[in-house]
Amino acid sequence: MARLTLNALGKTFGTTTAVAAFSLDVKDGELVCLLGPSGSGKSTLLRMVGGFETPTSGEVLIDGEVVTRTPPERRPTAMVFQSHALWTHMNVFGNIAFGLRIRRLPKAEIASRVGRVLALVGLEGYGKRQTNQLSGGQQQRVAIARALVLEPKILLLDEPFASLDQHLRERLREEVRDIQHRLGITTLFVTHGQDEALSLADRIVVLKEGRAEQVGAPAEVYRSPATPFVAGFIGSMNRLPGSVEAGRFRHGALELPLEGVPDGPAELAVRPEHLVVRAAPGGGAASLRRLTDYGTHRIIDLETSEGARLKAQVADGADLPQGPGLQLEPTAWAVFRNDQVIARSPA
Amino acid sequence: MTKVRVPSGAGESRGPLGLLLVAVPVFLLGWMTVWPILSGLVTTLFPKDAAGFSLELYDRFFSDDYSLDNLRLTLWTCGVTSLILLAVSVPLALYLRFARGPLASYVQTLAMFPMFVPSIILAFAFIRVLGPNGTVDTILNALGLAKIRSPYLTVWGPVIGLVWDNIPLTVLILTSGLGAVPNPAIEAARDVGARPLTLFVHIILPRMWSSIFVVISLTILGLFTAFTLPYVLGPASPEMMGPFMQRTFSDLRNPEMALTQATIVMGFCILFGLFYVRSVARNRRD
Repeated sequence: MARLTLNALGKTFGTTTAVAAFSLDVKDGELVCLLGPSGSGKSTLLRMVGGFETPTSGEVLIDGEVVTRTPPERRPTAMVFQSHALWTHMNVFGNIAFGLRIRRLPKAEIASRVGRVLALVGLEGYGKRQTNQLSGGQQQRVAIARALVLEPKILLLDEPFASLDQHLRERLREEVRDIQHRLGITTLFVTHGQDEALSLADRIVVLKEGRAEQVGAPAEVYRSPATPFVAGFIGSMNRLPGSVEAGRFRHGALELPLEGVPDGPAELAVRPEHLVVRAAPGGGAASLRRLTDYGTHRIIDLETSEGARLKAQVADGADLPQGPGLQLEPTAWAVFRNDQVIARSPA
Repeated sequence: MTKVRVPSGAGESRGPLGLLLVAVPVFLLGWMTVWPILSGLVTTLFPKDAAGFSLELYDRFFSDDYSLDNLRLTLWTCGVTSLILLAVSVPLALYLRFARGPLASYVQTLAMFPMFVPSIILAFAFIRVLGPNGTVDTILNALGLAKIRSPYLTVWGPVIGLVWDNIPLTVLILTSGLGAVPNPAIEAARDVGARPLTLFVHIILPRMWSSIFVVISLTILGLFTAFTLPYVLGPASPEMMGPFMQRTFSDLRNPEMALTQATIVMGFCILFGLFYVRSVARNRRD
């Protein structure tokens, strides 16, 4: 259990800035997800916390102690790598016990601690197996056990499930969340999967080009994206270009009342599940293009009279007429101008 | 049931063409390697003077102190050279594997340099630098210091020359072996608390053994048959098997005995060859 503080942390490689003056405070036992596309600096950030990259500026503090220049072998952190990074010449027990052997713990204690973490990750009795005899999911559990056995203050996970299939990923995600809750270990989790971040995190940091675009709870980031980038990156989002004129947002036949917003170009962002579609006998703002059944829900593809493509989530959709004549009603939305929110739907 | 038709000629026509392509190297291997081995064995096991099968030539070699001394010196040179070579090349390979930046490129170029220097040039450079009244002696003399005990014409002469000559190949093989140690495996070890020495002994070395075995096998195979450096830099007596075989053949004009010596050397080489094959097979299995 520990508190992690990143203070104006920066990293440049030559002329490229990977992370720019990034600050974050991770509370005791909190799980924070660093979410962003490739090249957004999330892995570099994690590696700086782990000690594998030296920051160009700023500092890393664990429980108030500056560890910015401390090498990884002397940091109270443990990292789970994307590629498992197991040592193939050692068996499962050897992999997990290695860190404890370095610390010269008594054999009985090593055996007991390894047994405990193996049980924690659901691999009892696997100690004598060679790592190449394990499936991808089992190998990743060994990697997690190897990190947990040292009882680190901070657990760092660098896209640990990226190489696993969807089903296994979901299962391991739940297990990691469960273990993290039980141990109450402060965790920094890097991912580029929004589902992973939304289902795991206490807080999400959305990164873009080495800067935090938004920091907040999953529901906040999903429901109230601070920038068009966050809106587009998390979940599915319809973005309609239009303009604000005389207190109304207009995109073709679609209109929304906006109070106190100056006139000018703007962009409406609305999620498919917040877009109600109705048949409009007298002609509407959009036409139906396609209906796709995903089993749990149905998505309809629409095209507005201005040529913009939209998606809407519907319960049935079979009653909607083909062709033009659909009325659109956003129930929750945000309007952006110059990458800033200028209006939101009433809560 | 659907039958899958294999396009005609896809499998069959490649057979003869493939055989034709390997025919030349296989023929050369048979002519220049297998045939001389068989011929050497037959000639030495059925000597002219004996009526039939006889071990007399081998008996003469193994009962002759001078021949045994030469064999011992060759084995000693192989062992010492391999050890020094590893002591020099492993740190070099480690440096080249993990170092970044322009200095590493210069070090690599320098390590590969001996590969482009012929042995005879190297031998004379050695004499000019480390030989009596060579560069080192001249410098020491200018500084008013005593001369060195030159390794030239001692057992250390060929050792120094052969180490220098074999560094490039050894470093290349070891660096390639180290390439098989992924960075995350090293970072994971550091993450659990491994310092550099622990990292080397427990994580890097176990992944390097195959390369080390390959290097030792190849080096010893080369050293057994080395001629130029032992001939120019080594002592006259005892001498390494390369110069010894040549002298037996041309100076003593005893081709049968030279062939016997060559067959014995080949026996040792086959041993190390098997060792090499085993290491390569293990490497592929891993």
